[in-house]
Amino acid sequence: MRYFLRRIGFFIATLWAAVTLNFIIPRLQPGDPAEIMFKKLQGKDAELDPAKIEALRAMLGDPAGANLWDQYWNYLGSLARGDFGISYTYFPYEVKTVIGVALPWTLVLVGVTLIISFVVGTLLGAFAAWRRNSRFDSFVTLGSTFIGTLPSFWLALLILFAFGYVLGWFPTAGGYDASTPGWNGEFLADALYHSVLPASVLLITGPIGWILGMRNTMIMNLGEDYVRLARAKGVPDAQIALRYAARNALLPSITGLALALGSMLGGQILIEQVFDYPGLGRLTAQAIDNKDYPLLQALLLFTIVGVLVANLIADVLYGILDPRARKVTS
Amino acid sequence: MTRRTTRSHPFSPVGLTALAATGMLVLTACSGRIQTNQNQPAPSAGGTAGTDAMIDQVTMPAEVAENVGGLVNYNPFSPNALTKVYFYEPLMIRNSLNCQMTPWLATGFKWEGATKLTFTIREGVKWSDGQPLTPDDVKFSLELGKRFSALDTAGIWNDTFGKKAADVTVVGNDVTITFSGNAAAKFDSIIGVKILPKHVWEKIDDPVKYIDKDPVGTGPFTVGSYNGRKLVLERRADYWQADKVKVQKLVLEGNYDATQAALKLNAGGLDAYWGEIPNPQVAFVDKNPTLNHFWYAPAGTTVLTPNLTKAPFNDVKFREAYSQGLNKDEISTKATYGVMKPASQTGLKLPYAENLMPEEFAKKDTVLPFDTAKAEQLLDAAGYKVGANGMRTNPDGSPLQIKFTVQAGWIDYESTVEVIVRNLQALHLDAKTVKSAPDNVEAQKKSADFDMVLEYLHGGCEVARNIGSKLASDQIPTKTKVQSNVERWNDPATDATIAQLSGSTDPAEQKKLVGSLVDTMMTQYPVTSLIYAPARMIYRTDKAVGWPSADDPYATNSDMLLIMTHLKSAK
Repeated sequence: MRYFLRRIGFFIATLWAAVTLNFIIPRLQPGDPAEIMFKKLQGKDAELDPAKIEALRAMLGDPAGANLWDQYWNYLGSLARGDFGISYTYFPYEVKTVIGVALPWTLVLVGVTLIISFVVGTLLGAFAAWRRNSRFDSFVTLGSTFIGTLPSFWLALLILFAFGYVLGWFPTAGGYDASTPGWNGEFLADALYHSVLPASVLLITGPIGWILGMRNTMIMNLGEDYVRLARAKGVPDAQIALRYAARNALLPSITGLALALGSMLGGQILIEQVFDYPGLGRLTAQAIDNKDYPLLQALLLFTIVGVLVANLIADVLYGILDPRARKVTS
Repeated sequence: MTRRTTRSHPFSPVGLTALAATGMLVLTACSGRIQTNQNQPAPSAGGTAGTDAMIDQVTMPAEVAENVGGLVNYNPFSPNALTKVYFYEPLMIRNSLNCQMTPWLATGFKWEGATKLTFTIREGVKWSDGQPLTPDDVKFSLELGKRFSALDTAGIWNDTFGKKAADVTVVGNDVTITFSGNAAAKFDSIIGVKILPKHVWEKIDDPVKYIDKDPVGTGPFTVGSYNGRKLVLERRADYWQADKVKVQKLVLEGNYDATQAALKLNAGGLDAYWGEIPNPQVAFVDKNPTLNHFWYAPAGTTVLTPNLTKAPFNDVKFREAYSQGLNKDEISTKATYGVMKPASQTGLKLPYAENLMPEEFAKKDTVLPFDTAKAEQLLDAAGYKVGANGMRTNPDGSPLQIKFTVQAGWIDYESTVEVIVRNLQALHLDAKTVKSAPDNVEAQKKSADFDMVLEYLHGGCEVARNIGSKLASDQIPTKTKVQSNVERWNDPATDATIAQLSGSTDPAEQKKLVGSLVDTMMTQYPVTSLIYAPARMIYRTDKAVGWPSADDPYATNSDMLLIMTHLKSAK
């Protein structure tokens, strides 16, 4: 029991630290949101109109206005009420609403590709380990090491250029086109069509980590005594591979999956930017660009809470599954 | 290609305060307003004269840069309104190129002194809900900024550029604003105030945070549909000048970078675009010279801004010398493919503002020549001798270094600075480029922590607000406030001239005062003009003709409303 209490205590302390940092960091950055927004609205070569800048400043509220301590307490108070304030970029919409619109896009795109990547990667890794030093193994291991060295945004640009611009098979930007969002076939087909390119990038780069991780743990497990025993007593190969080795090798990967699902809320900033995909990643980039503190804080908080909760769940699961974890820490 | 943010974005015609006009109606000259050259429109524009048929559909880029689908808002004060142009209309529109006025919701205006401004409101205008426009609507809209400072985008109720307003009164069809002092320089902003329906907006508790989903405007269009990406506007048959609007359906869709925009334009998926397309002649026009056109009007001037609080830039002789040694033709070629021409050192947009030129410069070429030998001679004469290492030193022998700060990623600026730094090095000046994030450059401008930067000098109609704000000592930026006088020109005589000009009502006197500012530019080199900066218009004439062009410069890209009343069917 002490183990679980400690984990929860640790969770709360980390959450507080994260929330506080989340409050401080944006305020350390230089730049006035009103001026930045003015420049953005007017373009580079535009008259500097003090009246308009003043009006914008009045609209967004002066971030340097109240003293920092009061701001901090207000911030904690509104967080507790679930009030994240009004977005500067999408003024006067509330941050909650803005995130709500972008969330499904990321959840579907990143979530689906993550789970497919996990399943495919784990299977490939397990098989490569089972047939280690075979042609298949060298192909998969070398291939994924090679693709793993390429930055994913670069791969994205390459794919966008080839299939979007040169061949023109797929749309180059956006999440959908002419259809009206909702549960109708036309929209779903449209959205699916638009997600092909970003999803393919995520599916190419996604499994690599799982392949290599699974292969290594699996190889280690295959050298264990219980595998040798199973072999000796004539258990069929497939059963040894899947029921004995793979099952045990899966444990670290599951923790990894929990963390990946947690950090999924941050979206795929670079990939979403390249394909102009309307998810949380692109929203984060916009918030940074526009010094949209309320939106940025909420997005970062989402990611942090997502990771922390996933971590907590993984810790608790570990505690239940593996008695050693409880002993070591207490 | 990856970033669809700031730089590549179209100038959304969001700030419809700089205004435009045709040569339809000449209004009486009056205070605060300087009538520049009247380039009379040629009878035809964009190739053909067009027919009286209706145009089914015109497609243009979305006005908002950012969108997550489905957030609908037409509140014209919101930074993210889906359109700020086509529902709520201004009182008058003034062409920022030739400064002609087109009456809009007001049929005329009159200044009494520089403290009392009266607009006569047009009769017979109907809101899209069927109610008539009244002078009370105008009074309500003008007074909104008094109650909510966040909505005072024209600065009517504060002391920016002229004294604040005291009250607004209605007599018959006339709406009069009385100011607490001289307010002539506010004129351009006031005519651009969006007129709102009082009967709708008076019921709203907080118009600042109001999400306007169902706009009631006087404009030529109403909302047809919006699916989160594509805004379809439908023509209003009961618009007050419906006979001039031929576009049945106006589609605003997409944010494009230069490559995508060129593709869309060529494929006919876009009819007009006003973002940056480098080398539009090759990327667009050459592909179909009969249908594809572009016109980059001068909106202002790109200037080299030195930091006058530092040596040697505080020495006029030094500034004069390097100003002669800059190759503006090469800058034009490298930064704009020769589209934007070298600019006059006067700070005025020529030839559009030719009639403001003082006698002494009127007949001369005011674009500074590129003369390295003369520049070197001037530097030698001023005591900036070449030292042992082949570089010039300050007159006292101390080393002289110039760091030219430029916004990283602003490609045209980077090319410009590359040429300038090479030119300075040719004068044996130890110059180098420092590339910095645009936000950092902004911060350095505020804290005066730079040697040289590039800047934009606006070329609008209120000279007191353009060259004036570049030279007025009360427009020097502070640590927390961005302002126009980045070079920090601080001269009481100039301040007096600007103050006089911003309250002047007499055209002859205005010309004299502008002349005095031009003289400062020509002899003191507070900033050095390089090339004109563009207001871009790139368009196709397969569906609609009548777009503004060099032959018919009736509007720029900030005057879309005016352009809508000029478009005619090509078929």
